[in-house]
Amino acid sequence: MIRRTFKLAWFKRNRYSLTVIAIALSVAFIVSTLLLTTSIADVGEPLNEAYDGVDVVVKGPEVAAGDGPVAGITAPVSSMVVDTLNASGYEAVGFTSPYAQALDPTGNPVGQDQSSANVAEPWLGDSTLNGYEISTGVAPSGIGEVAIDSATADAAGLEVGSTIQYVTDAGLRQAELVGIATFGGADNDPYTSTLLLDVADQVFEPTRGYDYVLVADGEQTATVDAVAPLVPEFKVISGTTWVEDQISQLDSFLGFFSTFLTVFAVIAVVVGMVIVTNTFTVSLAQRTEELALLRLVGTTRRQLMAQVVLEALFLGLAGTIVGVAAGLAGVNGLGWFLDVLGLAIERSDAISTSAIAIGVLVGMGVTVAAAVWPAWKATAVAPIEALRSAELEPPSAGRNRMIAGAVALAIGIGCLLYGIVQTDILLTGVGIGGAFLALYLGADTLVRIAARIVRPLLGKAGPTGTVASRNLERNAGRTSAAASALMIGISLIAFFTLMAATIGQFVAGDSVDGLSADYVVQGIGSQPEPALNDETLAAVATVDGVEAVVPLYSTSVTPVSAAEVERVGPGGASLGVVATEFDSLVLVYDFTINAGSLDDVTSTAVVIDQALADSMALAVGDTVDVTALAGPVDLQVAAIVETSLPGAPQPAIIGDLDLSGALGYDAPATTAYIIGTAGEAALTEAVGLPTIDVLTLEDYVDGLSSNLDTILALVYALLAVAVIIALVGIANTVSLAISERVGEIAAIRAAGASSRQIFWSLISEFGLLALVGVLSGLGLAWISATAFFRALSGGQINYPETDVLTGLLIVLAGLVGGAAASWLPALSAAKADILDVLRAD
Amino acid sequence: MNTELLDSNNSGNGRPDPQSDDVARLVGASKIFGEDDAAVTALDDVTIGFRRREFTAVMGPSGSGKSTLMYCQSGLDRLTSGHAYIGDVDVSTLTDQELSVLRRSKLGFIFQSFHLVPALSAKENITLPVDLDSGAEVDEEFLAELTDVLGIANRMENRPSQLSGGQRQRVAVARAMIPRPDVIFADEPTGALDSKTSGELLTYLRQAVDELGQTIVMVTHDAVAASHCDRVIYVQDGRLVGEALHPTVDDVLDKIRELS
Repeated sequence: MIRRTFKLAWFKRNRYSLTVIAIALSVAFIVSTLLLTTSIADVGEPLNEAYDGVDVVVKGPEVAAGDGPVAGITAPVSSMVVDTLNASGYEAVGFTSPYAQALDPTGNPVGQDQSSANVAEPWLGDSTLNGYEISTGVAPSGIGEVAIDSATADAAGLEVGSTIQYVTDAGLRQAELVGIATFGGADNDPYTSTLLLDVADQVFEPTRGYDYVLVADGEQTATVDAVAPLVPEFKVISGTTWVEDQISQLDSFLGFFSTFLTVFAVIAVVVGMVIVTNTFTVSLAQRTEELALLRLVGTTRRQLMAQVVLEALFLGLAGTIVGVAAGLAGVNGLGWFLDVLGLAIERSDAISTSAIAIGVLVGMGVTVAAAVWPAWKATAVAPIEALRSAELEPPSAGRNRMIAGAVALAIGIGCLLYGIVQTDILLTGVGIGGAFLALYLGADTLVRIAARIVRPLLGKAGPTGTVASRNLERNAGRTSAAASALMIGISLIAFFTLMAATIGQFVAGDSVDGLSADYVVQGIGSQPEPALNDETLAAVATVDGVEAVVPLYSTSVTPVSAAEVERVGPGGASLGVVATEFDSLVLVYDFTINAGSLDDVTSTAVVIDQALADSMALAVGDTVDVTALAGPVDLQVAAIVETSLPGAPQPAIIGDLDLSGALGYDAPATTAYIIGTAGEAALTEAVGLPTIDVLTLEDYVDGLSSNLDTILALVYALLAVAVIIALVGIANTVSLAISERVGEIAAIRAAGASSRQIFWSLISEFGLLALVGVLSGLGLAWISATAFFRALSGGQINYPETDVLTGLLIVLAGLVGGAAASWLPALSAAKADILDVLRAD
Repeated sequence: MNTELLDSNNSGNGRPDPQSDDVARLVGASKIFGEDDAAVTALDDVTIGFRRREFTAVMGPSGSGKSTLMYCQSGLDRLTSGHAYIGDVDVSTLTDQELSVLRRSKLGFIFQSFHLVPALSAKENITLPVDLDSGAEVDEEFLAELTDVLGIANRMENRPSQLSGGQRQRVAVARAMIPRPDVIFADEPTGALDSKTSGELLTYLRQAVDELGQTIVMVTHDAVAASHCDRVIYVQDGRLVGEALHPTVDDVLDKIRELS
């Protein structure tokens, strides 16, 4: 049985080769995304080893959670804590990691990409609390000496003994590079570029207190229970918890990518499944006679099923082996691609066996599962079919399929409409799924309708055109598989294109329109450090031609109103805060005021945006209670504006310059708007730091959406893979559909049709299929995007940003893709030797 | 008995001197399948002509090369060496496009398993060769006459799947006849039909030759079918081994027995 099945499958290897490629592509995609996901997740591993010696950590109370655009803020731990714990027989050191950006020998910032932090840390000597180990050179011992992590040294091309420049909040500094260090066995602390300085360096500002106090066993064994009573006003956690918190922070940062890649893996599985189902449906349908013959000679239906499923297993196995191998190679390609995009994702070299196992399971499982239903239908063939001639009518679309399609459509439209009206994201999702299913099931009906519409047109092209439209109508069930494959690809592309355009519009749209500054000065990077200290601001203000400098100080606070605590839980979501010189701000930014007056803004009377007013049900004159560094602060709502400042978090609180102090916040400014005609060069010279960018308004606006562009590039790259899989599926379906009709094609050829006539007949037939697939895919994407954005924006966005030109391009691309995929099969069918077919009888 | 045995060593194997006014002829035609050790000679230096208004049967045991002879003569297959003419045209010199035009205008085909296009109605199947020619118009009068004589006039709108085997083969015959071809090639046309239906079909083919002046070359292994023909040629091992004019069924059976 197994041997016979294998022989049969081998006999048809050409027919099945595309199926194997489709399976292999899906598996490769799944394996490489999963491998990437797991290797990303493993990247936190060195933290465990590095901080192995940290038993207990003392930290200040959390002021604002760290999940917003503005990093979480923890109140500092007093330096007295270190003295107290050391006196009590523990080993304790203060630990702070302020901003410090290393420069390479040419003066450019090192390790500056979208995902890294740039910090200075104290060198903790031989202490078990030190996460770093010197690998080359010596440890820094005194002011003017630094060590850096090995990854940063490599990136900058810095060697021990050279002079290194770096920028801190206090400005540009210079030191001797005395050592290169590793972190927990890895080249660096994940996503961090670290300068290791002497503990006494003033950058650590011990008078302010520490971020953390790390505690290890001394004469006393350090435990949370033993340490906590000694420092009652601070939070005490175990070293393990501290490391876990850091890893989970990494994970939440990386979670986006993991989710993202997983979504695409799922898309790959769905596309793969559709393709395999199509393949088996078509290939089994054209073997009706063979199956009937086997039934005729006494094969039971169960035996037939077993044979088909075994065949699927062979195909699945072949595809899976190729796919896993390609996936192992592909993960490096994907990683390289992310690097190119500037999404420097750090990952471990470990190869996750579970990723491979899932790839194997999916490859084999999906193939077999996709084969079972067509096999069950095909094996229901009556033995008498074997005795009938090949000129039988193919079975029309199953009534069950039509009913299922209608039900899915009804549910889908119902949910979509309700989702649109109620802006309910869940129902919208169900609606999109339903509409998708309905289109998949109803593709044959659509194809039939389309064929009827174009019949007169194709009929003009002679009998081959008539045959093309008739075949579309009659064989709609089988050939529409090609249309549904294309529909999936097109709807994915169109949906993400709409998403990109709409988000781009939403991010950069309204708030940027109101900005009239001539220049914007801010720290480099997509989430700039608060790098504009008073000195820099003063230098900029004295440049000739500068009329006004409007600095923005950003921080975050946690709302503590009773209702809010109930809604998000204690210590919940943080709110972005921007403090600025309000009198100057109104010169460069034209707020759309919905309520109140900007004149009423004082140190504790603030402006909030409409989104915040809506979510917390606030009106002008209401009080917002927040927790800040300075403790609980009451803020009054002076005015409500339509949108927050460009580039600032939304929702946000915007207040006067004094607000920063009132909240107990003293970091440098993040951004400064400049009015005047000073010129970029003069401003850049005045700033004098490579870590600060001077941007024209235009460049600044472009920069706001560049982050999005990077993500979109990733989306498109992954989509391209899904679309390639879909195209292979189309080519597969088309070639199977054509091979099903060799007899008919031979008959027309014998009657005198030239191969050119046959070729164009086939191309017009599948071109029409492609058109149906493309249009239904576009329609599905537009409706889904509309519902999706309404739901996601809470009704703020009614329609996706639609670009007719892009739409036309997608239609064109779909048609070209469809034609390209059917080109070769049609060509080979048209060129096929008539005799081969006639003799085969 | 009009059977005359030909000298099989004669280099002009077959009727020694095909006339240039023959509808179709093979000259020194050889066809070899495969290469080297696996080479099989299906036609071995065959020269033969098919006369206008003649109904010729090509007979021979399985594997004798009779079908190959027909396929090569009609341009469906290419000779390894020699020439195949339809009228004055050497089909081996034609491109695929020219062969297609030749088939739709000068040749008709009838196959054992009908080979109708399932998507098209009976009428559309019949007019297919004319419709393929953008310049040509269907001769409606001739079509009506054909379908009337063949007894399928009332089935014109049916699809092949709605017709019986005999009706399908008559549709195929009408399709072969409609362009008024120079020659019709029929490959075991009665092979899939019962004796009554095949009898009717052969009577009709005979009629087409006698009344419409049609030329037909029919490959068959059915002695009854061959007995309807003006001329029977026998093929064995790729060579012509005999010819008979107006044979009876018994003549044909005797000859077959003699050959095997």
